Amino acid sequence: MRRLPALTVDRGIGGLVLVFAVVAPFLVPQFWTANLLTQTLILGIVAASLIFLSAYGGMVSLAQVSIYGIAGFVVGNLTTNGNTKGLNLGWNPWWGVVLGIVIATIVAILFGALSSRSTGIYFLMITLTFAVIANYFFGQVTDLSGFGGISGIPAPKQIGPVDAHPWRLYYVCFGVALVLYALMRYVVRTPFGISLQGVRDDPVRMSSLGYNVRLHRTIAFAFGGFVAACGGVLFVWWNQHIDPASIQLSAVIDVLVIAVIGGLFRLEAAWLGAFVFVVLNNYVQRLGFWSLSTRFGTVIGLVFLAIVILSPGGLMGIWERLLSLAGRRRSQTPTAQAPLESGTVEPSV
Amino acid sequence: MQGNDRYQQEEGKRMTLKRRWKLIPLLALAAVTAAVAAVGASASSAAGTPIKIGVLSDCQGAFGSFDNQDLSGVDAAMVQLAGAKVKNPSVPRDGWTGASIDGHPLNLVGVGCSNDKADTAIKETKRLMEQLGADIMIGPLSGDESIAVANYAKQHPTKTFVNGSAGAQDTTLKVQAPNFFRFNGDGAQWNAGLGDLAYNKLHWKTAAVIADDYSFAWTSAAGFIADFCGAGGNVTKRVFPPLNTTDYSSYAQQLPTNVDGTFVAVGGAGLIPFLKAYEQAHGPIDGKKFMGNLFWGTPGEFQQLGNRVAGAYVGGSGTAGDLNTAAAKAWASFYAKTFKAIPPFGAPTGQQASVFTYSYYANTVGLLKGLMAVKGDISGGQKALQDAIGKVTWNAPYGPIKLDANRNAVTNVYYQQLYVGKDGKLAIKTVGEVPNVDQTFGGTFSHATPPPGRTFPPCTKKALPWQGKEITPPVIGG
Repeated sequence: MRRLPALTVDRGIGGLVLVFAVVAPFLVPQFWTANLLTQTLILGIVAASLIFLSAYGGMVSLAQVSIYGIAGFVVGNLTTNGNTKGLNLGWNPWWGVVLGIVIATIVAILFGALSSRSTGIYFLMITLTFAVIANYFFGQVTDLSGFGGISGIPAPKQIGPVDAHPWRLYYVCFGVALVLYALMRYVVRTPFGISLQGVRDDPVRMSSLGYNVRLHRTIAFAFGGFVAACGGVLFVWWNQHIDPASIQLSAVIDVLVIAVIGGLFRLEAAWLGAFVFVVLNNYVQRLGFWSLSTRFGTVIGLVFLAIVILSPGGLMGIWERLLSLAGRRRSQTPTAQAPLESGTVEPSV
Repeated sequence: MQGNDRYQQEEGKRMTLKRRWKLIPLLALAAVTAAVAAVGASASSAAGTPIKIGVLSDCQGAFGSFDNQDLSGVDAAMVQLAGAKVKNPSVPRDGWTGASIDGHPLNLVGVGCSNDKADTAIKETKRLMEQLGADIMIGPLSGDESIAVANYAKQHPTKTFVNGSAGAQDTTLKVQAPNFFRFNGDGAQWNAGLGDLAYNKLHWKTAAVIADDYSFAWTSAAGFIADFCGAGGNVTKRVFPPLNTTDYSSYAQQLPTNVDGTFVAVGGAGLIPFLKAYEQAHGPIDGKKFMGNLFWGTPGEFQQLGNRVAGAYVGGSGTAGDLNTAAAKAWASFYAKTFKAIPPFGAPTGQQASVFTYSYYANTVGLLKGLMAVKGDISGGQKALQDAIGKVTWNAPYGPIKLDANRNAVTNVYYQQLYVGKDGKLAIKTVGEVPNVDQTFGGTFSHATPPPGRTFPPCTKKALPWQGKEITPPVIGG
């Protein structure tokens, strides 16, 4: 009962955000729909896969961007038709979707199996290695990409051309983000999700209880990879281009920053973090055009630093703190008697 | 009562007067609205409609330090042809004011900051075109960026794009966007004549090639290979270190020494580490047995290569700072007068011939001449403007420029030689000119052939249009 007001406020705001997302293309300039909001949804999906692994599996993975990139490169190679690097197979874009997601998920299973025995800093290092390998692989295997990357990647006819109908891709991204969010929420409530959280909290005890810890981690990693791969397909439709720089270390850090400023303990934080990141990245440069010239990178860094220092739980952390403050104040008033039962719905790391 | 009545009457008059005053802004607003509506009705071609221009430069990455050179080229063209004033002669990046063509102001809406990565170039292009609403974009700087931007241009036929300084071949030959124009040569064109020189004058029969493993360096090496093999030479080994390699020792060791010469297309930051690695692997360098692409002659930077490379020939970038012609000298003095400093390099002298300055300049001039031909009218989805730009021909400072069917420049190119000057320091002089070089190398490259890469073009003998027709241009100081 004590959580009820917070939950209601949460849901209310969530509902408002959803309503805004649905009507946004009618309210905001086209640039916002076509670029900032679509990019927010896509980056949010990748960051959500990272938050899923971190919050429910205890695995801070730096390989999510490379898996998303692998899906993107597969789509690029299969669906472009001449005039660019890569295989230029010219297949139907829907084949690109299927194979992009399947191949990226298979790679995620491999990555997951290889890294499932490590934890903490070692897990971070292994996934960082995956990120670097993927970056150089596509840079040096010129049959598949090369440093110049693949340009002119088409979206399916039903969605594209993206520049002519930006709102179609926006709604597709919105729908996919919503489905993936619901799927992740569902998975953490399944017996698998519950035991995954057990693995996160105490792998030794889970192991002695007979749970296969490595298998749990591998499956979770593969699922996270599947989510990231969906983001990768949407990314290449939106960007119409992918090159190794799209998955290089700075891109990996970008997604980590998004997850951290959003808050590493709640899935919704991924999209909040992505929104702040995308808007800041875009507008600070514009504000700084005359006064700060080309030093916008420093400004962005300082803002992120401030967020993380002021709230270790990211922006979602600030929100939670405000809610609990409000809750406490309410509990002090005689009309709102605090019931005894408590318990957190969302796990924390 | 009477007094009171009069007071009321006067108060009433005052109120009416006040109301009338209040009406004036309303009337003005109505007039402005009507005027705006009228202008809107007569389409965007009406006199005075501003034209929004975005410039895409690199302010980060390997070429970030040339940011101000890029903008200086654009500014110079605006001053020369559109009556603009440079905002800050010591910081070209700040842009210009007061430019117009036939009464249409040319407004700079933003300068994009890319980092030689295609991905960033696309993001910045979207920001300039879609957020800041630019009608026309000038840029980008480097090869891979331009391929991505040309693909973007294809999707936006009602906007116009002119290149900055990018030199990848695919940008025009493969992508063929009808609204992307390039008034500079590509990396292969810039090396035209070098292979002929190596085979026929230096009597190289065999050569090795080392080039960075990406579009621009492949294109650059392709120019030498097509030229050298075309003349009858044989390239026996091609080595491609990944971009941003820091330790070149394993690549230097792969290069054979039993060849007559080596062509090096290793970019900016990698060049000096490569030369060191080569010395460690094969002993002292003999400059006469080397040829380099434009990075061997970058103004202000080539001196760092050291006197060991004296005697080496250098493929240029379609520029020749020491050219002794009226047009080249006029350009040099105009540039020196227009700017006080080009950060971080300092005084403008000499920087007018930088590949970045000159290419951005030539492309902006091409655009402005197109705009002049249509009297600044960009209505009708810019179709007339694009047709006009395609037809621009121009006696540029370093020789005439015209566009081919793929909207790529047919232009003169120059090659230079490094030598030790009287002061004991490495210096450079222009020693050869190849007139009217086009992108196809007499059919070696076409839309149907593969893009330049690790194995393309193959080494085959073929007559090239300029073989034996290179001339020695007049240069300052002989």
